[in-house]
Amino acid sequence: MISPELEREVVTFLLREAELLDEGRYQEWLALLTEDVRYIVPVQVTGEVETEQEVSMNHLDEDRASLELRIRRLETPYAWAERPRSRTRHFLSNIRVYPGERADEVLVRSNLLLVRSRGDDSQAEWISGERQDLLRRVNGEWRLARRVVVLDHSVVPVRSLSMLL
Amino acid sequence: MLEQGFLKELGEKIEQGIAILRIYNDPEIYELERKRIFARAYIFVAHESEIPQPGDYVVRYVGDESYIVIRGEDGRIRALFNACRHRGMRLCRSEKGQAKTFLCPYHGWTYRNTGELIGVPAEKEAYGGRLDKAKWGLYEAPHVESYNGLIFVSLDPRAPSLKEYLGGMTWYLDLLTRRSSAGLEVIGAPQRWVVDVNWKLPAENFSSDAYHTLMTHRSLVQLGMAPSDPQFAMYGTHISAGNGHALGIGFIPEHLPLPPFLGYPEPVINALKRNYPSEAQVQVAEKMQFWHGTVFPNLSLLNAALPIPFLTFRVWRPMGPNRTEIWSWFLVERDAPEDFKRRSYETYVHTFGTSGVFEQDDVEIWRGITAMAGGPTAERFELNFQLGMHFQPDPTWPGPGTALPLDYAERNERVWLREWYRYLVSENPWQ
Repeated sequence: MISPELEREVVTFLLREAELLDEGRYQEWLALLTEDVRYIVPVQVTGEVETEQEVSMNHLDEDRASLELRIRRLETPYAWAERPRSRTRHFLSNIRVYPGERADEVLVRSNLLLVRSRGDDSQAEWISGERQDLLRRVNGEWRLARRVVVLDHSVVPVRSLSMLL
Repeated sequence: MLEQGFLKELGEKIEQGIAILRIYNDPEIYELERKRIFARAYIFVAHESEIPQPGDYVVRYVGDESYIVIRGEDGRIRALFNACRHRGMRLCRSEKGQAKTFLCPYHGWTYRNTGELIGVPAEKEAYGGRLDKAKWGLYEAPHVESYNGLIFVSLDPRAPSLKEYLGGMTWYLDLLTRRSSAGLEVIGAPQRWVVDVNWKLPAENFSSDAYHTLMTHRSLVQLGMAPSDPQFAMYGTHISAGNGHALGIGFIPEHLPLPPFLGYPEPVINALKRNYPSEAQVQVAEKMQFWHGTVFPNLSLLNAALPIPFLTFRVWRPMGPNRTEIWSWFLVERDAPEDFKRRSYETYVHTFGTSGVFEQDDVEIWRGITAMAGGPTAERFELNFQLGMHFQPDPTWPGPGTALPLDYAERNERVWLREWYRYLVSENPWQ
């Protein structure tokens, strides 16, 4: 059973995490990840009946080390795709919390709408999908242990995935 | 209307190493490109490993037109225009699959996977036996040919064979595609995304531009993801292989401790020594630190070690004068060790493709150029393509084409633009 208190903790965690991403506080964001985190955005392919998730190709397929590298890159003066930094807004909704396999874990599914605007371009870009997160309690605090983002797009409608979903 | 003389003047300028910014965002030039380049030249559509079995298909674009690239029951690969012959409805609305037949959702005309029309609802009653089904099969592209598993389509019945079209480029494609006798395989599906970029910019960049790595990709040098010398991409050979196809091959400079054969695992290296057609290709591969190039007009290939070697094919699919859909495939030798395949895949995903830390910055540059190219100032704004114009070709180079002794050159871009120009102004580019 998921208690209202637990649900509230999860929502608070996700909103906090989105705030850090939108404000570019990446080191603080990294602190919310477990050491063994996996972060995957699979390629979607339109099949004859349903959209199929490509099991062997992803837009992002990250572990802690590769996420740290991406963030170290953003901190150099030469990460042109994010210099000046994009303005992003993570909109999260339809948050559903389910029991995990372990007592200290929960599965969370939520809808994501990410809007990005850059420079003086009046046209904002957006991308949407479902986050499938695994949260784990580490020393009494929630941490993100796995995130799979199932995009609603087979052709990604943004210029690059230089931001985190 | 393109003013009289603009193209003529442009042709003369290209010879002097000058281009006009306008060509990267102009609706009239784009219209010419659609008809004179994409309806004529050989366009890459798929790798054979994507459709291994009879009935396997992928839906791909030739210019802005949708074609079903399918292996028929008879084993032959065809490219069928994705429109029902009855009223033109888009027949296949998935991106890939397996089909014995295609059924049109409008009135139910049905085609075999070889293109033949086999079913017409109420045929007897409504057509009175007068419909000659043999005449109404799907439209098939006149040329569908493969080289080492790469499938190309030309919509021009006059086009020569693919082998003739590729010319000297085959020698260089062999370096990437013939390491293993088992061939390459595409892993998963290509990543696809849309950018506000003119398609020529990435095509030229991959054919020629080693120079940009020092600034565009500076962040990766700083993080140790690229060799420690920011000018690492300068050391190499700048080759135009003929027919507008061009590439650069980087060679390991003495001061950088890079492994031979790009650091491929031993079984792959042993195999390439057996499988390459010539000893000269083995010697080139031994010293190679990267391979970047473009098969004219819009297929680019990259083989690099960052630091694990990986191979990607990319198509710059034009969607308008300032819009391009990028298709990016990851390929690996089918019989390479599994743990190597995994690490090669991870290196590709982290560096190129939708989220790649190299590609993100490239897209930012190409977007920025496209954004500057659409206005009246751009119509007379000259661009400098003169890097390395003083270089003399290396007479000792063992491969076909013309090779300059340093990869910091823009000769390939000049060669690419010259070929592009030739297509635009020629009634028949094959003469």
